[in-house]
Amino acid sequence: MKRPTRTLQMALGMVALCVAWELIGRLQVFGPTFPPLSTVFGVLFSPDRQRLFSSAIGATGTSAVLGLTIGGGIGILIAAMRQAITATRPGLDRFAAAIHAIPQIGIAPVLIVLLGRDNAPIAVASIAAFFPSYAAATRAFDAALTAHHDLFTVLGSRRSNRLLMLELPAAVPGLADALRLAAPGAVLGAVLGEWFGAPRGVGLLILSSSQAYDIPLLWASALLATVLAMVGFGFFTILQRAAARRFA
Amino acid sequence: MTNSHPIQVAATLDQPAISLANIGKEFNLGRRRVVTALTGVTATIERGEFVALLGPSGCGKSTLLRIISGLEKPTSGTALVEGSSPEQLISDHRLGFAFQEHALLPWATVSENIAIPFRLARRPIDRARVSELVALVGLAGFESARPKQLSGGMRQRVAIARSLALAPDLLLLDEPFGALDEITRRRLNFELARIWAETGVTTVMVTHSVDEALLLADRIIVMATNPGRIETEVMVDLPRPRTAETLGSARFGELATELIRLLDHSEPSDES
Repeated sequence: MKRPTRTLQMALGMVALCVAWELIGRLQVFGPTFPPLSTVFGVLFSPDRQRLFSSAIGATGTSAVLGLTIGGGIGILIAAMRQAITATRPGLDRFAAAIHAIPQIGIAPVLIVLLGRDNAPIAVASIAAFFPSYAAATRAFDAALTAHHDLFTVLGSRRSNRLLMLELPAAVPGLADALRLAAPGAVLGAVLGEWFGAPRGVGLLILSSSQAYDIPLLWASALLATVLAMVGFGFFTILQRAAARRFA
Repeated sequence: MTNSHPIQVAATLDQPAISLANIGKEFNLGRRRVVTALTGVTATIERGEFVALLGPSGCGKSTLLRIISGLEKPTSGTALVEGSSPEQLISDHRLGFAFQEHALLPWATVSENIAIPFRLARRPIDRARVSELVALVGLAGFESARPKQLSGGMRQRVAIARSLALAPDLLLLDEPFGALDEITRRRLNFELARIWAETGVTTVMVTHSVDEALLLADRIIVMATNPGRIETEVMVDLPRPRTAETLGSARFGELATELIRLLDHSEPSDES
Protein backbone atom coordinates (compact mmCIF):
# COMPACT_ATOMS: atom_id res chain seq x y z
CA MET A 1 0.00 0.00 0.00
CA LYS A 2 2.82 2.35 0.95
CA ARG A 3 4.83 1.95 -2.26
CA PRO A 4 1.96 2.54 -4.73
CA THR A 5 0.98 5.64 -2.72
CA ARG A 6 4.51 7.01 -3.04
CA THR A 7 4.66 6.23 -6.76
CA LEU A 8 1.29 7.96 -7.23
CA GLN A 9 2.50 11.02 -5.31
CA MET A 10 5.63 11.17 -7.47
CA ALA A 11 3.58 10.85 -10.67
CA LEU A 12 1.22 13.59 -9.50
CA GLY A 13 4.20 15.81 -8.69
CA MET A 14 5.63 15.28 -12.18
CA VAL A 15 2.28 16.05 -13.82
CA ALA A 16 1.91 19.21 -11.69
CA LEU A 17 5.43 20.32 -12.71
CA CYS A 18 4.71 19.72 -16.41
CA VAL A 19 1.38 21.58 -16.23
CA ALA A 20 3.00 24.52 -14.39
CA TRP A 21 5.83 24.63 -16.97
CA GLU A 22 3.34 24.56 -19.85
CA LEU A 23 1.22 27.34 -18.31
CA ILE A 24 4.22 29.56 -17.47
CA GLY A 25 5.48 29.12 -21.05
CA ARG A 26 2.14 29.74 -22.72
CA LEU A 27 1.30 32.77 -20.59
CA GLN A 28 4.86 34.05 -21.18
CA VAL A 29 5.27 34.74 -17.46
CA PHE A 30 9.04 34.95 -17.88
CA GLY A 31 8.96 36.22 -21.46
CA PRO A 32 9.93 34.42 -24.68
CA THR A 33 13.04 32.84 -23.12
CA PHE A 34 10.84 30.42 -21.14
CA PRO A 35 9.01 28.37 -23.78
CA PRO A 36 6.12 26.00 -23.00
CA LEU A 37 7.03 22.39 -22.36
CA SER A 38 5.14 21.26 -25.47
CA THR A 39 7.46 23.41 -27.62
CA VAL A 40 10.56 21.92 -25.93
CA PHE A 41 9.15 18.41 -26.43
CA GLY A 42 8.40 19.32 -30.06
CA VAL A 43 12.10 20.01 -30.60
CA LEU A 44 13.22 17.06 -28.51
CA PHE A 45 11.11 14.54 -30.43
CA SER A 46 11.31 16.11 -33.90
CA PRO A 47 12.39 13.29 -36.28
CA ASP A 48 14.99 15.37 -38.13
CA ARG A 49 16.89 16.08 -34.94
CA GLN A 50 17.03 12.54 -33.57
CA ARG A 51 20.47 11.85 -35.01
CA LEU A 52 21.80 15.08 -33.55
CA PHE A 53 20.46 14.26 -30.09
CA SER A 54 21.48 10.61 -30.09
CA SER A 55 25.01 11.56 -31.17
CA ALA A 56 25.13 14.21 -28.40
CA ILE A 57 23.78 11.81 -25.77
CA GLY A 58 26.21 9.13 -26.91
CA ALA A 59 29.19 11.50 -26.61
CA THR A 60 28.19 13.02 -23.26
CA GLY A 61 27.09 9.65 -21.86
CA THR A 62 30.39 8.03 -22.82
CA SER A 63 32.41 10.89 -21.30
CA ALA A 64 30.30 10.77 -18.14
CA VAL A 65 30.63 6.98 -17.76
CA LEU A 66 34.40 7.14 -18.36
CA GLY A 67 34.68 10.14 -16.00
CA LEU A 68 32.67 8.34 -13.34
CA THR A 69 34.80 5.22 -13.75
CA ILE A 70 38.05 7.16 -13.53
CA GLY A 71 37.12 9.87 -10.98
CA GLY A 72 34.74 7.71 -8.93
CA GLY A 73 37.15 4.77 -9.08
CA ILE A 74 40.12 6.88 -7.98
CA GLY A 75 37.98 8.37 -5.19
CA ILE A 76 37.11 4.88 -3.90
CA LEU A 77 40.69 3.61 -4.30
CA ILE A 78 42.18 6.55 -2.42
CA ALA A 79 39.53 6.16 0.30
CA ALA A 80 40.51 2.47 0.57
CA MET A 81 44.17 3.46 0.89
CA ARG A 82 43.20 6.02 3.55
CA GLN A 83 41.42 3.23 5.41
CA ALA A 84 44.29 0.77 5.14
CA ILE A 85 47.10 3.18 6.10
CA THR A 86 45.96 5.38 8.98
CA ALA A 87 48.95 7.72 8.71
CA THR A 88 47.84 8.87 5.24
CA ARG A 89 44.41 10.11 6.42
CA PRO A 90 45.06 13.81 7.13
CA GLY A 91 47.17 14.20 3.97
CA LEU A 92 44.65 12.48 1.70
CA ASP A 93 41.74 14.45 3.15
CA ARG A 94 43.57 17.71 2.34
CA PHE A 95 44.46 16.43 -1.14
CA ALA A 96 40.80 15.58 -1.84
CA ALA A 97 39.63 18.94 -0.52
CA ALA A 98 42.21 20.71 -2.73
CA ILE A 99 40.99 18.84 -5.83
CA HIS A 100 37.42 19.74 -4.90
CA ALA A 101 38.36 23.40 -4.49
CA ILE A 102 39.56 23.67 -8.12
CA PRO A 103 36.85 25.48 -10.08
CA GLN A 104 35.96 23.14 -12.95
CA ILE A 105 35.13 26.02 -15.24
CA GLY A 106 38.61 27.40 -14.63
CA ILE A 107 40.50 24.15 -15.16
CA ALA A 108 38.58 23.02 -18.28
CA PRO A 109 40.49 25.22 -20.77
CA VAL A 110 43.78 24.08 -19.25
CA LEU A 111 42.70 20.45 -19.66
CA ILE A 112 41.85 21.05 -23.32
CA VAL A 113 45.36 22.39 -23.88
CA LEU A 114 46.83 19.44 -21.98
CA LEU A 115 44.62 16.54 -23.10
CA GLY A 116 42.97 17.67 -26.32
CA ARG A 117 39.37 18.53 -27.18
CA ASP A 118 38.13 14.94 -27.17
CA ASN A 119 39.47 14.05 -23.73
CA ALA A 120 38.69 17.28 -21.86
CA PRO A 121 35.04 16.28 -21.08
CA ILE A 122 36.23 12.98 -19.60
CA ALA A 123 38.84 14.78 -17.50
CA VAL A 124 36.35 17.37 -16.15
CA ALA A 125 33.81 14.61 -15.48
CA SER A 126 36.51 12.67 -13.57
CA ILE A 127 37.35 15.70 -11.43
CA ALA A 128 33.65 16.34 -10.77
CA ALA A 129 33.04 12.69 -9.80
CA PHE A 130 36.15 12.37 -7.62
CA PHE A 131 35.21 14.32 -4.51
CA PRO A 132 31.64 13.08 -3.87
CA SER A 133 32.92 9.55 -4.46
CA TYR A 134 35.89 10.01 -2.09
CA ALA A 135 33.79 11.67 0.63
CA ALA A 136 31.07 9.00 0.55
CA ALA A 137 33.60 6.16 0.29
CA THR A 138 35.54 7.32 3.40
CA ARG A 139 32.23 7.22 5.29
CA ALA A 140 31.45 3.82 3.75
CA PHE A 141 34.72 2.30 4.95
CA ASP A 142 33.79 3.33 8.51
CA ALA A 143 30.42 1.57 8.27
CA ALA A 144 31.45 -1.60 10.15
CA LEU A 145 30.05 -1.62 13.68
CA THR A 146 32.23 -1.33 16.79
CA ALA A 147 31.00 -4.78 17.89
CA HIS A 148 32.25 -6.24 14.58
CA HIS A 149 35.64 -4.57 15.07
CA ASP A 150 35.79 -5.93 18.64
CA LEU A 151 34.96 -9.40 17.31
CA PHE A 152 37.78 -9.23 14.75
CA THR A 153 40.16 -8.01 17.48
CA VAL A 154 39.40 -10.83 19.93
CA LEU A 155 39.63 -13.36 17.10
CA GLY A 156 43.16 -12.15 16.36
CA SER A 157 42.44 -10.76 12.90
CA ARG A 158 45.25 -9.32 10.82
CA ARG A 159 44.80 -5.85 9.33
CA SER A 160 44.42 -7.25 5.79
CA ASN A 161 41.68 -9.69 6.90
CA ARG A 162 39.86 -6.91 8.70
CA LEU A 163 39.89 -4.83 5.51
CA LEU A 164 38.87 -7.65 3.17
CA MET A 165 36.42 -9.56 5.35
CA LEU A 166 34.84 -6.74 7.35
CA GLU A 167 35.45 -3.21 6.15
CA LEU A 168 35.06 -3.86 2.41
CA PRO A 169 31.80 -5.87 2.55
CA ALA A 170 30.36 -3.46 5.15
CA ALA A 171 31.27 -0.61 2.79
CA VAL A 172 29.46 -1.97 -0.29
CA PRO A 173 26.14 -0.12 0.24
CA GLY A 174 28.07 3.07 1.01
CA LEU A 175 30.26 2.62 -2.09
CA ALA A 176 27.16 2.24 -4.27
CA ASP A 177 25.96 5.42 -2.57
CA ALA A 178 29.29 7.07 -3.45
CA LEU A 179 28.74 6.30 -7.15
CA ARG A 180 25.12 7.45 -6.88
CA LEU A 181 26.26 10.84 -5.59
CA ALA A 182 29.09 11.06 -8.13
CA ALA A 183 27.02 10.11 -11.21
CA PRO A 184 25.12 13.41 -11.70
CA GLY A 185 28.38 15.29 -11.07
CA ALA A 186 30.08 13.26 -13.81
CA VAL A 187 27.31 14.13 -16.32
CA LEU A 188 27.49 17.82 -15.48
CA GLY A 189 31.30 17.70 -15.56
CA ALA A 190 31.18 16.14 -19.03
CA VAL A 191 28.74 18.82 -20.25
CA LEU A 192 30.98 21.53 -18.83
CA GLY A 193 34.04 19.96 -20.47
CA GLU A 194 32.23 20.05 -23.82
CA TRP A 195 31.72 23.81 -23.64
CA PHE A 196 35.32 24.47 -24.44
CA GLY A 197 35.54 23.12 -27.95
CA ALA A 198 34.50 19.46 -27.81
CA PRO A 199 33.51 18.17 -31.28
CA ARG A 200 30.09 16.88 -30.09
CA GLY A 201 27.94 16.36 -27.01
CA VAL A 202 25.06 17.89 -25.06
CA GLY A 203 27.38 20.65 -23.80
CA LEU A 204 28.18 21.65 -27.35
CA LEU A 205 24.44 21.70 -28.17
CA ILE A 206 23.79 23.99 -25.20
CA LEU A 207 26.60 26.29 -26.27
CA SER A 208 25.69 26.43 -29.97
CA SER A 209 21.95 26.85 -29.36
CA SER A 210 22.53 29.70 -26.91
CA GLN A 211 24.88 31.41 -29.34
CA ALA A 212 22.29 30.98 -32.13
CA TYR A 213 19.55 32.16 -29.74
CA ASP A 214 17.61 28.95 -30.49
CA ILE A 215 15.72 28.99 -27.18
CA PRO A 216 13.64 25.78 -27.62
CA LEU A 217 16.79 23.83 -28.62
CA LEU A 218 18.65 25.32 -25.63
CA TRP A 219 15.91 24.12 -23.29
CA ALA A 220 15.75 20.72 -25.00
CA SER A 221 19.51 20.32 -24.55
CA ALA A 222 19.36 21.37 -20.89
CA LEU A 223 16.52 18.88 -20.39
CA LEU A 224 18.63 16.15 -22.02
CA ALA A 225 21.54 16.88 -19.66
CA THR A 226 19.16 16.74 -16.67
CA VAL A 227 17.61 13.46 -17.82
CA LEU A 228 21.07 11.97 -18.34
CA ALA A 229 22.10 12.97 -14.79
CA MET A 230 18.84 11.56 -13.41
CA VAL A 231 19.30 8.26 -15.27
CA GLY A 232 22.76 7.89 -13.69
CA PHE A 233 21.39 8.75 -10.26
CA GLY A 234 18.46 6.34 -10.71
CA PHE A 235 20.65 3.48 -11.90
CA PHE A 236 22.95 3.71 -8.87
CA THR A 237 19.97 4.19 -6.55
CA ILE A 238 18.67 0.78 -7.67
CA LEU A 239 22.17 -0.66 -7.24
CA GLN A 240 22.53 0.92 -3.80
CA ARG A 241 19.20 -0.56 -2.63
CA ALA A 242 20.20 -4.00 -3.86
CA ALA A 243 23.57 -3.65 -2.07
CA ALA A 244 21.88 -2.54 1.15
CA ARG A 245 19.58 -5.58 1.03
CA ARG A 246 22.52 -7.92 0.54
CA PHE A 247 25.17 -6.37 2.77
CA ALA A 248 23.34 -4.60 5.61
CA MET B 1 54.83 -26.25 21.42
CA THR B 2 55.74 -25.12 24.98
CA ASN B 3 53.53 -27.87 26.40
CA SER B 4 55.95 -30.50 25.14
CA HIS B 5 58.32 -29.67 28.01
CA PRO B 6 57.24 -31.53 31.20
CA ILE B 7 58.27 -28.76 33.65
CA GLN B 8 56.43 -26.14 31.63
CA VAL B 9 53.35 -28.38 31.47
CA ALA B 10 53.37 -28.58 35.27
CA ALA B 11 53.76 -24.82 35.55
CA THR B 12 50.89 -24.28 33.12
CA LEU B 13 48.61 -26.67 34.99
CA ASP B 14 49.36 -25.00 38.33
CA GLN B 15 48.49 -21.49 37.34
CA PRO B 16 44.89 -20.29 37.31
CA ALA B 17 43.08 -19.62 34.03
CA ILE B 18 42.72 -15.95 34.91
CA SER B 19 44.63 -13.96 37.48
CA LEU B 20 43.63 -10.35 38.14
CA ALA B 21 45.85 -8.32 40.44
CA ASN B 22 44.73 -4.93 41.72
CA ILE B 23 43.12 -3.91 38.44
CA GLY B 24 42.12 -0.28 38.08
CA LYS B 25 40.60 1.43 35.06
CA GLU B 26 40.02 5.10 34.52
CA PHE B 27 38.41 6.74 31.51
CA ASN B 28 39.53 10.21 30.57
CA LEU B 29 36.52 12.31 29.58
CA GLY B 30 38.64 15.33 28.63
CA ARG B 31 38.93 18.71 30.36
CA ARG B 32 40.69 16.92 33.22
CA ARG B 33 37.56 14.92 34.01
CA VAL B 34 38.32 11.31 34.85
CA VAL B 35 35.86 8.53 35.64
CA THR B 36 37.05 5.59 37.71
CA ALA B 37 35.38 2.51 36.21
CA LEU B 38 37.23 -0.06 38.31
CA THR B 39 39.42 0.01 41.35
CA GLY B 40 41.42 -2.63 43.24
CA VAL B 41 39.96 -5.65 41.44
CA THR B 42 41.80 -8.79 42.50
CA ALA B 43 40.43 -12.21 41.59
CA THR B 44 41.44 -15.66 40.42
CA ILE B 45 39.46 -17.91 38.12
CA GLU B 46 40.38 -21.57 37.90
CA ARG B 47 40.44 -23.74 34.79
CA GLY B 48 37.07 -25.19 33.85
CA GLU B 49 35.22 -22.82 36.18
CA PHE B 50 32.07 -20.94 35.17
CA VAL B 51 32.16 -17.56 36.86
CA ALA B 52 29.45 -14.92 36.60
CA LEU B 53 30.18 -11.23 37.07
CA LEU B 54 26.97 -9.89 38.58
CA GLY B 55 26.23 -6.30 39.38
CA PRO B 56 24.14 -3.24 38.63
CA SER B 57 24.71 -1.03 35.57
CA GLY B 58 27.88 1.02 35.85
CA CYS B 59 29.73 -1.38 38.18
CA GLY B 60 32.40 -1.98 35.53
CA LYS B 61 31.61 -5.66 34.91
CA SER B 62 31.72 -5.30 31.11
CA THR B 63 34.89 -3.20 31.41
CA LEU B 64 36.46 -5.98 33.49
CA LEU B 65 35.49 -8.55 30.84
CA ARG B 66 37.00 -6.33 28.13
CA ILE B 67 40.23 -6.10 30.17
CA ILE B 68 40.34 -9.90 30.47
CA SER B 69 39.79 -10.14 26.69
CA GLY B 70 42.48 -7.58 25.88
CA LEU B 71 39.99 -5.17 24.29
CA GLU B 72 40.80 -2.65 27.04
CA LYS B 73 44.03 -2.09 28.91
CA PRO B 74 43.90 -1.55 32.67
CA THR B 75 45.14 1.79 33.97
CA SER B 76 46.80 -0.04 36.87
CA GLY B 77 47.35 -3.64 37.93
CA THR B 78 47.88 -6.73 35.80
CA ALA B 79 45.60 -9.20 34.09
CA LEU B 80 47.07 -12.58 33.22
CA VAL B 81 45.25 -15.19 31.18
CA GLU B 82 46.78 -18.66 31.11
CA GLY B 83 49.91 -17.10 32.58
CA SER B 84 50.44 -14.55 29.86
CA SER B 85 48.88 -11.35 28.58
CA PRO B 86 45.37 -11.41 27.06
CA GLU B 87 46.96 -10.26 23.77
CA GLN B 88 48.92 -13.52 23.69
CA LEU B 89 45.69 -15.51 23.99
CA ILE B 90 44.24 -13.46 21.12
CA SER B 91 47.23 -13.94 18.87
CA ASP B 92 47.12 -17.70 19.61
CA HIS B 93 43.39 -17.68 18.67
CA ARG B 94 42.48 -19.31 21.98
CA LEU B 95 39.78 -16.83 23.05
CA GLY B 96 36.03 -17.09 22.42
CA PHE B 97 33.82 -14.05 22.95
CA ALA B 98 30.07 -13.57 22.62
CA PHE B 99 28.85 -9.99 22.72
CA GLN B 100 25.56 -8.50 23.86
CA GLU B 101 24.90 -7.51 20.25
CA HIS B 102 25.37 -10.78 18.38
CA ALA B 103 27.91 -9.13 16.01
CA LEU B 104 27.09 -11.54 13.17
CA LEU B 105 28.18 -10.40 9.72
CA PRO B 106 24.89 -9.63 7.93
CA TRP B 107 26.21 -10.68 4.51
CA ALA B 108 27.35 -14.11 5.70
CA THR B 109 25.27 -17.23 6.27
CA VAL B 110 25.01 -19.07 9.59
CA SER B 111 27.76 -21.51 8.55
CA GLU B 112 29.98 -18.73 7.21
CA ASN B 113 29.58 -16.74 10.43
CA ILE B 114 30.49 -19.76 12.55
CA ALA B 115 33.52 -20.40 10.32
CA ILE B 116 34.92 -16.84 10.68
CA PRO B 117 37.33 -17.77 13.53
CA PHE B 118 38.94 -20.38 11.23
CA ARG B 119 39.45 -17.80 8.49
CA LEU B 120 40.84 -15.15 10.86
CA ALA B 121 43.23 -17.74 12.35
CA ARG B 122 44.23 -18.62 8.76
CA ARG B 123 43.33 -22.24 9.32
CA PRO B 124 41.44 -24.46 6.86
CA ILE B 125 37.73 -24.39 7.66
CA ASP B 126 36.77 -27.58 9.48
CA ARG B 127 33.34 -28.23 7.88
CA ALA B 128 32.60 -31.12 10.22
CA ARG B 129 33.30 -28.90 13.23
CA VAL B 130 31.03 -26.16 11.83
CA SER B 131 28.20 -28.71 11.31
CA GLU B 132 28.77 -30.05 14.82
CA LEU B 133 28.46 -26.53 16.27
CA VAL B 134 25.34 -25.81 14.23
CA ALA B 135 23.82 -28.96 15.73
CA LEU B 136 25.15 -28.12 19.22
CA VAL B 137 23.22 -24.84 19.27
CA GLY B 138 20.13 -26.46 17.72
CA LEU B 139 20.22 -24.74 14.35
CA ALA B 140 20.48 -27.73 12.01
CA GLY B 141 18.66 -26.84 8.78
CA PHE B 142 19.49 -23.13 9.09
CA GLU B 143 23.08 -23.40 7.80
CA SER B 144 22.40 -21.24 4.73
CA ALA B 145 20.17 -18.69 6.45
CA ARG B 146 21.34 -15.11 6.83
CA PRO B 147 21.17 -13.33 10.21
CA LYS B 148 18.21 -11.16 9.25
CA GLN B 149 16.19 -14.31 8.54
CA LEU B 150 16.72 -15.50 12.13
CA SER B 151 15.08 -14.52 15.41
CA GLY B 152 17.07 -12.73 18.13
CA GLY B 153 17.53 -15.97 20.07
CA MET B 154 18.74 -17.86 17.00
CA ARG B 155 21.27 -15.10 16.23
CA GLN B 156 22.69 -15.37 19.75
CA ARG B 157 22.98 -19.15 19.35
CA VAL B 158 25.00 -18.58 16.18
CA ALA B 159 27.19 -16.10 18.08
CA ILE B 160 27.79 -18.69 20.81
CA ALA B 161 28.58 -21.39 18.23
CA ARG B 162 31.04 -18.99 16.58
CA SER B 163 32.73 -18.27 19.93
CA LEU B 164 33.29 -22.03 20.38
CA ALA B 165 34.53 -22.70 16.82
CA LEU B 166 38.23 -23.06 17.65
CA ALA B 167 37.61 -24.85 20.97
CA PRO B 168 38.94 -21.85 22.94
CA ASP B 169 40.70 -22.07 26.29
CA LEU B 170 38.59 -19.21 27.57
CA LEU B 171 35.02 -18.21 26.76
CA LEU B 172 33.89 -14.69 27.61
CA LEU B 173 30.19 -13.83 27.46
CA ASP B 174 29.09 -10.20 27.76
CA GLU B 175 25.38 -10.36 28.59
CA PRO B 176 24.76 -12.44 25.48
CA PHE B 177 21.06 -12.86 26.29
CA GLY B 178 20.51 -9.32 27.61
CA ALA B 179 18.44 -8.20 24.65
CA LEU B 180 16.19 -11.28 24.54
CA ASP B 181 12.72 -11.85 25.98
CA GLU B 182 12.44 -13.74 29.27
CA ILE B 183 11.22 -17.04 27.76
CA THR B 184 13.95 -17.20 25.09
CA ARG B 185 16.53 -16.11 27.63
CA ARG B 186 15.60 -18.89 30.06
CA ARG B 187 15.69 -21.49 27.29
CA LEU B 188 19.12 -20.32 26.14
CA ASN B 189 20.36 -20.38 29.76
CA PHE B 190 19.61 -24.10 29.92
CA GLU B 191 21.17 -24.63 26.48
CA LEU B 192 24.31 -22.76 27.51
CA ALA B 193 24.53 -24.85 30.69
CA ARG B 194 24.38 -28.00 28.53
CA ILE B 195 26.97 -26.65 26.04
CA TRP B 196 29.29 -25.65 28.87
CA ALA B 197 28.95 -29.10 30.46
CA GLU B 198 29.86 -30.68 27.10
CA THR B 199 32.87 -28.45 26.42
CA GLY B 200 34.12 -27.77 29.95
CA VAL B 201 35.63 -24.47 28.79
CA THR B 202 36.60 -21.85 31.39
CA THR B 203 33.82 -19.30 31.14
CA VAL B 204 33.32 -15.79 32.46
CA MET B 205 29.89 -14.30 31.91
CA VAL B 206 28.68 -10.78 32.60
CA THR B 207 25.06 -10.59 33.64
CA HIS B 208 22.70 -8.46 35.69
CA SER B 209 20.25 -11.32 36.12
CA VAL B 210 20.40 -13.14 39.48
CA ASP B 211 18.55 -16.18 38.06
CA GLU B 212 20.87 -16.43 35.06
CA ALA B 213 23.94 -16.27 37.29
CA LEU B 214 22.56 -18.96 39.61
CA LEU B 215 21.54 -21.28 36.77
CA LEU B 216 24.93 -21.16 35.10
CA ALA B 217 27.77 -20.28 37.44
CA ASP B 218 29.96 -22.18 39.88
CA ARG B 219 30.85 -18.91 41.50
CA ILE B 220 29.35 -15.44 41.36
CA ILE B 221 31.50 -12.35 41.73
CA VAL B 222 29.20 -9.59 42.99
CA MET B 223 30.29 -6.12 41.91
CA ALA B 224 29.39 -2.70 43.23
CA THR B 225 29.33 0.81 41.75
CA ASN B 226 30.98 4.17 42.45
CA PRO B 227 33.70 3.17 41.94
CA GLY B 228 33.35 -0.21 40.22
CA ARG B 229 34.78 -2.91 42.47
CA ILE B 230 34.30 -6.45 43.72
CA GLU B 231 31.88 -6.48 46.66
CA THR B 232 32.03 -10.17 47.48
CA GLU B 233 31.91 -13.67 46.04
CA VAL B 234 29.18 -16.27 46.36
CA MET B 235 29.78 -19.97 45.71
CA VAL B 236 26.85 -21.60 43.94
CA ASP B 237 26.51 -25.06 45.50
CA LEU B 238 23.46 -26.05 43.46
CA PRO B 239 23.78 -29.53 41.95
CA ARG B 240 24.26 -29.91 38.18
CA PRO B 241 22.66 -30.34 35.78
CA ARG B 242 20.51 -27.39 36.72
CA THR B 243 17.00 -27.58 35.33
CA ALA B 244 13.66 -25.84 35.64
CA GLU B 245 13.22 -27.67 38.97
CA THR B 246 16.41 -26.01 40.27
CA LEU B 247 14.61 -22.68 39.99
CA GLY B 248 12.02 -23.86 42.50
CA SER B 249 14.44 -25.39 45.00
CA ALA B 250 14.84 -23.97 48.49
CA ARG B 251 18.61 -23.52 48.07
CA PHE B 252 18.07 -21.55 44.85
CA GLY B 253 15.67 -19.27 46.74
CA GLU B 254 18.16 -18.77 49.60
CA LEU B 255 21.01 -17.92 47.23
CA ALA B 256 18.80 -15.58 45.19
CA THR B 257 17.70 -13.77 48.36
CA GLU B 258 21.29 -13.41 49.51
CA LEU B 259 22.39 -12.08 46.11
CA ILE B 260 19.54 -9.58 45.95
CA ARG B 261 20.49 -8.37 49.45
CA LEU B 262 24.13 -8.01 48.38
CA LEU B 263 23.15 -6.14 45.22
CA ASP B 264 20.96 -3.76 47.25
CA HIS B 265 23.99 -3.00 49.41
CA SER B 266 26.19 -2.56 46.37
CA GLU B 267 24.19 0.32 44.92
CA PRO B 268 24.45 3.78 46.46
CA SER B 269 21.20 4.92 48.04
CA ASP B 270 19.01 7.22 45.90
CA GLU B 271 18.27 9.30 48.98
CA SER B 272 21.87 10.36 49.49
